[in-house]
Amino acid sequence: MIHVPAPDPFTVFGLPRSLDLDERALESRYLRLSRDCHPDLHRAADTGDCIAVLQRAAEINDAWRVLRDPWQRARALLELLSPGALDRHKRLDPVFLAEALDLAEEVARADAAAAPALRARLQAALAADFAALRDAMQRGDCDAAARVCHASHYHQKALADLDAKS
Amino acid sequence: MAYSDKVLDHYQHPRNVGSLDKNAPDVGTGVVGAPECGDVMKLQIKVDDQGRIVDAKFKTYGCGSAIASSSLATEWLKGTHVDAAEQIKNTQIVEELSLPPVKIHCSVLAEDAIKAAIEDWRKKRAAVAGSPPNPEQQP
Repeated sequence: MIHVPAPDPFTVFGLPRSLDLDERALESRYLRLSRDCHPDLHRAADTGDCIAVLQRAAEINDAWRVLRDPWQRARALLELLSPGALDRHKRLDPVFLAEALDLAEEVARADAAAAPALRARLQAALAADFAALRDAMQRGDCDAAARVCHASHYHQKALADLDAKS
Repeated sequence: MAYSDKVLDHYQHPRNVGSLDKNAPDVGTGVVGAPECGDVMKLQIKVDDQGRIVDAKFKTYGCGSAIASSSLATEWLKGTHVDAAEQIKNTQIVEELSLPPVKIHCSVLAEDAIKAAIEDWRKKRAAVAGSPPNPEQQP
């Protein structure tokens, strides 16, 4: 089960529930929200107030971690739009999984010469995953979006493994 | 978190790593995944006419517990009848490998892979039994 902190990250940031957020606007919003509840600038009047400020700061940091990463943002959005969709679609197509296994082997075998082309292929696969995700979300097909989210995880992991080798 | 000695043994010396011909009529293939951790497990069985598993192979991309679970599964499967193999429970794998609670899903994956491989083999068998006799095999 994916953990979506309550209140949801979009509400914490006062932003519309959308997959496409302007990254610069998001960052400046994060900085402003953080400053507004910074303990050095915002002297707490009493213990209760102090706890409330700390809790708000933690909420902002949690929301930032989710919103800044497009895939985590997508998962949080999916969980809001269709609770449980990610849990319901964990079973992936065996043909896709067999390909993911081949890809993992290819990453494990890749030497320094083969790495750049493989990295480019994985990045292209992730870009295609995100385009498919956006397409599914626009159609309102949360089930398809959930499957894409899970599938993309294999490409992300392969890319991380490849990067860890160099 | 430390891995148990049995997990480490299977991880360092995995049994039955490899592939069988997935198109062969007597081979069943199961490929399952745990998308949260990006694990994939492929388990294959070769079954004789009596329904006995004569060979088992696996390939797993995942953590040590996932590798150990599938390695152990292939060891148990070899020489076992499919009907008995179908009864293997993830809890038996958990017990044998002393898997901690956070790694139980690895054993679930292995159980799913066994079931998927047997199902694939049964489908192939039913298709062969249901198809008209092959004229080339006629005397």
